[in-house]
Amino acid sequence: MGNYLKKKISLISFLFIPIVYLWDPNWLEFLGVQPYWPLFWLLPWSMIYGSLDGLIIGLFLGLILDSLSLDSSFTQIPGLVLCGIWFGKFSISNNIFVGHFRFGLICSIASFFCGSLYFFHILIKYWSDHTNFLYLPTIKNIFAQVFITGLLAPLICSLLFRLFQISKGRDKLIKFYK
Amino acid sequence: MVDIRRISTNRWWNKKNNWGLLIFLSFLFFVRITKGSLYKDFYYLISKPFWPGQFQREVLTKSVEQEFLIRLKQLENDNQRLREILSLQRLSDSETITAIVISRKTGSFWRQIILNKGVKDGVEIGSLVVGPGGLLGRVDNTSLLTSTVKLLTSPESKVGIWVERIQKHGLLVGLGNDYPKVIFYDGDIDIKVGDFVLSSPASTLLPPNIPIGVVQSVDEDLKEKKTANIMLLGKPQAIDWVQILKVKI
Repeated sequence: MGNYLKKKISLISFLFIPIVYLWDPNWLEFLGVQPYWPLFWLLPWSMIYGSLDGLIIGLFLGLILDSLSLDSSFTQIPGLVLCGIWFGKFSISNNIFVGHFRFGLICSIASFFCGSLYFFHILIKYWSDHTNFLYLPTIKNIFAQVFITGLLAPLICSLLFRLFQISKGRDKLIKFYK
Repeated sequence: MVDIRRISTNRWWNKKNNWGLLIFLSFLFFVRITKGSLYKDFYYLISKPFWPGQFQREVLTKSVEQEFLIRLKQLENDNQRLREILSLQRLSDSETITAIVISRKTGSFWRQIILNKGVKDGVEIGSLVVGPGGLLGRVDNTSLLTSTVKLLTSPESKVGIWVERIQKHGLLVGLGNDYPKVIFYDGDIDIKVGDFVLSSPASTLLPPNIPIGVVQSVDEDLKEKKTANIMLLGKPQAIDWVQILKVKI
């Protein structure tokens, strides 16, 4: 059973991302904003499996998270897809300290990118109403999310990275190409 | 003979991995089609032991008192108005369902709460959700066991409001932060800090006179329309119990 879990850890952890997304513990928030959870999973996974897998899994993540969010006019898919491709291009660092720091930095930049993309969706949608300027104060959300995501990333990403590395090669279920 | 066997074993359905991938893709498709209902119902089951107790209501007594004061004032005004006008919209035949907040997203751009009552309990899309203090939002999605509420602070939320003191309508727009704005399409309006904001009697989505918030500040930079920041009376980030109103408007 333990061996099976080890093999399928990436799939099992993937299925739990929406649960964590719904849970959103308020003791982990900064200025009322919680970290952008899907990046913590997407970064180590894409680093190990590459850009193409990153793209596909980013798309799946976006589809699931959009299903759970009510804002049907806005989508998280483009941000997660592009992050998946980008994350896949990173090499794995042998230096533990540098590796941890990199996780934090990359997740912060990715969180800023995804947040900005979502924010521009909103601005573009309300462009015709001439109410889009009202949304400018919500830029605060992006920066708060960047901070809290970057803060937690070294811890969570390095843990998941190690788990995915252990299961790499054995877990073929979500390997999309050879 | 060997070749035939090799071809037949190379068919895609004979590979275990392809079946795994097919099942995984079917699962993703199912989640997408059901709009995450499976996840929401699963979350309902696993979060059940951690639902809040009734004593947490005491923390919100202050908000409730504020709500009652506004309601009292509003009822008096309504009483006066009803003597003059007889065609006031109905709120009396609403049905109430008490629910617990089992998931909340009140930070960032995604502003929604998930309640532990769903289709099974008679919750319908479009029902109002009221907490201590006032209106929180409207039910936007339901599953068998849960319902998802779009909060007034969501960037997609737009509801008609009524400012009692000046007897004017406005549009409450959620911005993705804790302070939605009211837009009045009349630049000469005399809105002041401290004015109470209620649901509009002219709204087709909400019943009239439900307390929503208080004007916190007024923006002075526009001529053709006026905007004001609203402090909501219902605090979705702190509320654990809410009421779902099934209203016939």
